Amino acid sequence: MSLFCTIWRREVASFFLMPASYAVVTFFLALMGLSFWLMVQMLMLGHVATPVSQVMFGESLFFWMAMLMVPPLITMRCVAEERRIGTMELLMTAPVGDATVALGKFAGALTVFLLLWIPTLSYVFYLSKLAPYATPLDVGALAGAYVGIGLIGAFFLSIGLFASTCTRNQMVAAISSFSLIAMYFFMGFTPRFTELPLLHQSAHYISCLTHMIDFSRGVLDSRPVVLYLSLTALMLFMSVKSIESRKWKA
Amino acid sequence: MISVSHLTKRYRHVVAVDDLSFEVNKGEIVGLLGPNGAGKSTVMRILACYLTATGGRVRVAGHDAFTESMDVRRRIGYLPETVPLYPDMRVDEFLRYRAKLKRLPAKKHAAMIAEVKERCGLNELGKHMIGSLSRGYRQRVGLADALVHNPDVLILDEPTLGLDPNQNQQIRMFIRSLAEKHTVLLSTHILPEVEMICGRVMVMAEGRMVAADTPERLKDSFRGPNLIRAEIRGPVQDVQKQLAMLPMVLRVELVSENGWSVYRVEAPRDVDVRPALFDVVVRNGWRLRALTQEKRRFEDVYLKLTGQEEESVP
Repeated sequence: MSLFCTIWRREVASFFLMPASYAVVTFFLALMGLSFWLMVQMLMLGHVATPVSQVMFGESLFFWMAMLMVPPLITMRCVAEERRIGTMELLMTAPVGDATVALGKFAGALTVFLLLWIPTLSYVFYLSKLAPYATPLDVGALAGAYVGIGLIGAFFLSIGLFASTCTRNQMVAAISSFSLIAMYFFMGFTPRFTELPLLHQSAHYISCLTHMIDFSRGVLDSRPVVLYLSLTALMLFMSVKSIESRKWKA
Repeated sequence: MISVSHLTKRYRHVVAVDDLSFEVNKGEIVGLLGPNGAGKSTVMRILACYLTATGGRVRVAGHDAFTESMDVRRRIGYLPETVPLYPDMRVDEFLRYRAKLKRLPAKKHAAMIAEVKERCGLNELGKHMIGSLSRGYRQRVGLADALVHNPDVLILDEPTLGLDPNQNQQIRMFIRSLAEKHTVLLSTHILPEVEMICGRVMVMAEGRMVAADTPERLKDSFRGPNLIRAEIRGPVQDVQKQLAMLPMVLRVELVSENGWSVYRVEAPRDVDVRPALFDVVVRNGWRLRALTQEKRRFEDVYLKLTGQEEESVP
């Protein structure tokens, strides 16, 4: 457990010690700022039928840009960089198991990702303080939105971690994990192109856009929760196997 | 301390280590010698539990490296060939991180880190970024990391690679001093180093062990003919003829001719022809300036063993 915490802390610290990380943070906050501005625009036009969290987190293009692009940027260096500079050999010859390393690194990436969302709470604060008459604040919907962000984010980060274990090049890790994440995201759009009942139904089950809209309305369905937790577990398992592969790969 | 039997590591197209067996006893400093690609690093990586083998058994400090990998890792200090470190960490920070990873009890952290910094000459560098250190200091940080959990066994892959002669000397002295507390297995392809540091040498070539003994005995067993170098002033042809006629002399070779001529005289291994040679010179009234026995260098033995010799010494 203490080993896990050691790796976790190191992961979080190394992100914030890297100058390039602040570019990621800025990029992320710029996108969320745009998302907020879009929502304010809608409020000015008088659309208040849906909870504001749905406008800002569920249906916003900028929100999804952030969700799709930021996880690969956080996880790309996780393992790839250690492999490039050779410290993987140091790490894996210390009495630390492969699973502990994978989980510690994942926990670090998830912590960084969740920390990025903290400033977005200030939008909620501004909205309720400066324009209380514009929209009623729905705490449940807001909490649902953040739960959804955490779940979907964890899955995307685990994809990023897996990609990072497969290469020693950060760019390759970032591009391949972004491709995988985007592929998953756009698979949810299948119903818009086809009427085949089987595809229609299954695409509906995996569509993270649909799930996020539900979450940000305060609907906490257990099915997407189980889906994202198990997909995350699968990707973590594959990451552990990928780290292990140095031992048996010929 | 280290016991390896029938170790084999096969990659898809190459056999990196081929049925290797050896033992290293407590307190020994053993050198693993061989040309690049002989399989030294692979052996060390397997011992350090970074890789697993295709076949064979490895026991370190009483634990099996494959089934009790964690126990082995706790007892091993490993310095990889490239000395990988985190450039964005400070020396103290790095050593603390490593001590935690190696499960050193938290109470001992400060004392152990101070001790290894002292031993490795890093006292003033605790606050320095590792990325800004020179190659020699990085090497010391790597060594400090290998030592920080006070391991029984140290595995050092080319510990003097890329150091200047001065630093080399320091590191060698340091490694010799380690034998008091630790068992050391190091690899190198620098030959004088093995002679200086190691009590025993194992020579590897193409994944196999080709020889294992003390450096002296190894040299001895591979010693060729006795070579005498003589500088003589006299009529060259005459000198050459007379020397060749001496009993037991196998061959006489004129090395250089410039007033004083230099001859190389070959005799069987255990025969010293120097007194006879001196007598000949005196009898003929020539003049003699130098008469020395050529030492057989370890390098020659090594080249012979690893089959890299261009032309074997007759």
